[in-house]
Amino acid sequence: MIELIDNLGTGFSTALSLQNLGLCFLGVLIGTVIGVLPGVGPIATIAMLLPLTFKLDPTGALIMLAGIYYGAQYGGSTSAILVNIPGEATAVVTTLDGHQMARQGRAGIALGVAALGSFFAGSVATLVIAALAVPLTKLALLFGPADYFSLMVLGLAFAIVLARGPLLPAFCMIVVGLLLSTVGTDLETGEERLTFGMPNVVDGIDFAVLAMGIFGFAEILRNLENPEVRDVSRTAIGRMLPTREDVRRCVKPVLRGTFVGGLLGILPGNGAVLGPFASYTLEKKLSKRPKEFGSGAIEGVAGPESANNAGAQTAFIPLLTLGIPPNAVMALMVGAMTIHGIIPGPQVMTKSPDLFWGMIASMWIGNALLLIINMPLIPLWVRMLRVPYHLMFPAILIFCCIGIYSVNNSPNDVILTAFFGFFGYALYKFGFEPAPLLLGFVLGKLMEEKLRQAMVLSRGSFTTFIENPVSAGLLFLTVIVVVVAVLPSIRKSRDEVL
Amino acid sequence: MEPGNGGFVRAPRTVGAGVFMVLIGLFALYHSWGLTTGTTRQIGPGMIPQSLSVLLAICGVLLIVEGFVTRGEKLEAWKIRGPLFILGAVVIFGLAIKPLGLLLAAPLAMGIGGLASSETRPREIAIFAVVMTVFCLGLFKYALSLPIPLAPWLIGY
Repeated sequence: MIELIDNLGTGFSTALSLQNLGLCFLGVLIGTVIGVLPGVGPIATIAMLLPLTFKLDPTGALIMLAGIYYGAQYGGSTSAILVNIPGEATAVVTTLDGHQMARQGRAGIALGVAALGSFFAGSVATLVIAALAVPLTKLALLFGPADYFSLMVLGLAFAIVLARGPLLPAFCMIVVGLLLSTVGTDLETGEERLTFGMPNVVDGIDFAVLAMGIFGFAEILRNLENPEVRDVSRTAIGRMLPTREDVRRCVKPVLRGTFVGGLLGILPGNGAVLGPFASYTLEKKLSKRPKEFGSGAIEGVAGPESANNAGAQTAFIPLLTLGIPPNAVMALMVGAMTIHGIIPGPQVMTKSPDLFWGMIASMWIGNALLLIINMPLIPLWVRMLRVPYHLMFPAILIFCCIGIYSVNNSPNDVILTAFFGFFGYALYKFGFEPAPLLLGFVLGKLMEEKLRQAMVLSRGSFTTFIENPVSAGLLFLTVIVVVVAVLPSIRKSRDEVL
Repeated sequence: MEPGNGGFVRAPRTVGAGVFMVLIGLFALYHSWGLTTGTTRQIGPGMIPQSLSVLLAICGVLLIVEGFVTRGEKLEAWKIRGPLFILGAVVIFGLAIKPLGLLLAAPLAMGIGGLASSETRPREIAIFAVVMTVFCLGLFKYALSLPIPLAPWLIGY
């Protein structure tokens, strides 16, 4: 306990430096903007803004990037409530009751409850991260190559099960991602693999190139084909502070949402996306007035919004303690860390405690900042929602181009990104959801490395994965996850939830 | 999206997806064929890509089978305008950034990219492109001092 307070003390003293505070503010502000704007996702934005962080020290860079991520989760709810368009995928549930509340003239209350619930959830999640970081890191140091490999297999299994849509295409995306990760010089023999003589992929395909192509550019193409109608709520926002009655109704949903979201967020394989859905279903089941859900029940905003924010933050746990990114945004954080010469994993905490604890402390500060800046800025967001997409996409386009060029100062990277943009478009046309691809790509290199190490250690026998208790346990869990997902009855309820 | 008709191919989009995966698998297998496979004891550089390619192709075949058995969605029409102008703009930017520099490449890319939407108005995009170029110049070149060539043909950097 004293250790925890001590560590958080280190963190706050780092995060509260003028520069880091400013970067945290900038991060959450940018994050909120992209969260509010539909059609601009956090993946593309972080990839786009990577060059902005080159000049910063690693701590500042990561504080800012993390701010963008959870700021986006936060902003997503604003457009869900006001315009009935989820600014981010995780805000889908908020549209159900949040927009109904806005139509009844209670937009302000919905926004206020979402903000306060998120703040509470974010604060709790920060404490959870701080408390779990030390034990999990110690655990991770005991992991051998076989254990690591099995853990990543489990993560990928979760990613497939939790992806939207059918399982087989999601599995295909993972395999394509793993395959793409093998491109480049072989780490042991130095042979070039699948490089097609392109000098810019000798060290492997750059993560930013792949992410920007498949998410950034393909997203623009997708948005151009499906112009959305924005019904910017003309009704007044009204009072934002919830009444005593509202608060009374929200306390339990917020607590439950925080718990559910936080727990799911820790799962490797993007459990965070499931949080809001799970919380909504839970609240509807527990409510005495389930019929109110869908027509402006305040519990239906408070629970999922808390779950969303809690999950967004606990998703940092696998990344910070084990070095395994649980979703695509965290994968980008790995990219950002590597650019700054930090290899994510259990050693980060001991080697650079300032960075580790500073980032954790900055999350709480970021949440407080979000609460303060968002309340007065909502009228501005409403006006921003009126910017037409045909003026937004050329700006996104040029930022992406400059961003990609700047990562390695390589024009070839820009052209390769265009190729991946086309690839992403093709995937979209064939009905694939590309998020698991990115995760497979990021875990691929590490998985291959650990697999090869494990096989050398075991002299070529695959039984090492079963003989080793930790690895066996993880693989057993993987089997359970897959079997459960394939069972018909559970599959049906999964389809309902996702 | 409309469901596919009850014809021979019940889910054309799934079949298309399967064919796409099979093609990627075969392509990757063909190009990783020459690499050393190694043994399980000493895994060579080729083993992982080769086995993943085979796995992907098998999954593709399963998808094709699924598309014949269960009913699903039709193939979506591919638009030409969006991909052509957006990705064209990106390629042009890539080709132009070194020889022409940011001051020409950026407005060029935005102008071409703008053609992707039918709502774009020429005057609007022209003004917007100039404003954005100046903004990018200030942000990336001066505020962040990234080494981006500005106009090598004119000022030498």
